Amino acid sequence: MCGNRFGKKRRPEENAERMSYADFRLETVVETIPNPLRRIVRFAFEWIPIAIVAGLWELASGTAVSSEILPPPSAVFAVSWELLVSGRILPHLQVSLYRIGVGLGLSIVVGVALGVGMARVKPIENFFEVFLALIYPVPKAALVPLAILWLGVGTETAILIVFLACLLPIVLNSYNAAQNVDRNLLWSARMMGMPAWKLPIKVVVPATIPSILTGIRQAIPIAFIALVSAELIASNRGVGFEILRHGQIGNYTSMFAVLVVISGTAFVAVRGYEWLERRVVTWT
Amino acid sequence: MNRTQAHRQHPPNAKSTHETMVDGHVTITELEKVYESGDERTTAIEDFSVTVPSGEFLGVVGPSGCGKSTLLYLVAGFLEQTTGTIAVDGDPIDGPGTDRGVVFQDYALFPWRTVMGNVTYGLEEKGVGKEERRATAQRFIDMMDLDGFEDKYPKELSGGMKQRVALARTLAYDPKILLMDEPFGALDQPLRESLQDHLIDIWRDLEKTVIFITHDVEEAVYLSERVLIMTRHPGTKKTTVGIDLDRTQPREELVLSDEYTATKNDVWQSLREETTPGGER
Repeated sequence: MCGNRFGKKRRPEENAERMSYADFRLETVVETIPNPLRRIVRFAFEWIPIAIVAGLWELASGTAVSSEILPPPSAVFAVSWELLVSGRILPHLQVSLYRIGVGLGLSIVVGVALGVGMARVKPIENFFEVFLALIYPVPKAALVPLAILWLGVGTETAILIVFLACLLPIVLNSYNAAQNVDRNLLWSARMMGMPAWKLPIKVVVPATIPSILTGIRQAIPIAFIALVSAELIASNRGVGFEILRHGQIGNYTSMFAVLVVISGTAFVAVRGYEWLERRVVTWT
Repeated sequence: MNRTQAHRQHPPNAKSTHETMVDGHVTITELEKVYESGDERTTAIEDFSVTVPSGEFLGVVGPSGCGKSTLLYLVAGFLEQTTGTIAVDGDPIDGPGTDRGVVFQDYALFPWRTVMGNVTYGLEEKGVGKEERRATAQRFIDMMDLDGFEDKYPKELSGGMKQRVALARTLAYDPKILLMDEPFGALDQPLRESLQDHLIDIWRDLEKTVIFITHDVEEAVYLSERVLIMTRHPGTKKTTVGIDLDRTQPREELVLSDEYTATKNDVWQSLREETTPGGER
């Protein structure tokens, strides 16, 4: 198992170490199983909690709670599947993913530059530090009405909100790491003839990459949160808008189904990112 | 002793206009380093003068916190002295330069670069072409017994191997002076000894000036032609002890010889006075 569902990647050895402190380790049981089966068993263990909750939910729906307001998961998943297979959700998903891609992409470029700049250039730090501290506690959804005022209802507003929400984890991670770059690495580069002005690009950024990647990983789920909160208010397309639309016409099963699609997409995005990261950045 | 004489054939003050093999002569004059933070002034190094002739292997020992490392980083040009001068071949230094190469205790390899990428780093900065860069790097990789590990990343290497990569990286861009900050301090005894012998061979073959910081008296005596003992806080030169040993004999005989034991004792006594509370200042 690499990573948990919240997208915090753990190295296998770190995992082993953590587990060894637990009183009961499923892993000791799993290790007794022959290899091809082991993968399946691990996969099963990962999904068992979801299965339990879904089972309870299924039982509760229509008995303890009205299925009107709590549609059973069987129905919800069926509609989710139908939305995907029929392609009805795809144009909305496409719009939403585009907004996330652009917003997140911008936040990576700006965030890394800002983080590294703040860490290495005192005036930049002095200028931006206070803004970061002020923006940090503000829920980004609260900025949607203002964004509508500037950019109108639509893609630009969603991109701006995604950008702002993702900017913080990326800035903070790269800022912290760039501040703590091993002094001897900088000195090593200097002694080999590198002029001081080249250090940020040639040493600080590569040394900061592991933290930048962590920042991006943290930003992916945040991007989905920001996207949906923007689309709920300021859009007439996208998955967030779909939730609202189904809710307004009282189609709660579909509303849940869209939610499942969003959650699944975000999950796949984080897992895919982690997979890519492990293959591209092999030196960490 | 005969080694030193061989290296001293060139007049130590001759300024080199071309890249000769034998230069790398360090003169430190009345060096002082004061750290200031707020109102607090801490004198790390005071009234420190020493001349290191070309090709000398100078060991520096001192009690912990005496400013050994500060001294080394001042010579490297990483830190700036408060007063005094440091000159290489007669020219006062101005910041870091490729005439000096540092080997750090914690290796300080670039984790995002392979062994080959680390060793070619200095050559890239020098503007050496790709083919030549790789050929030169390969020579030092082989010299440090690292062939076969060219494409490994530092995280995949053991401590001893990392330090060999660090040494190859520094040697590859051919600094005249090696500044070594307890480079083998984190390694276990057998590994340390093998790297010490390796270093002696390299120093002999490549004719480098070496300033070697260590807290280990045996290491200093075994490696150096001369050992400089520093006083406790603030650090200054207490004395230097010339090491005159017959290096033709293998290590196991050398370390049992009377001269070795006597010299080691002299250095140890002198250092002990600095580390014992109430000892002579």
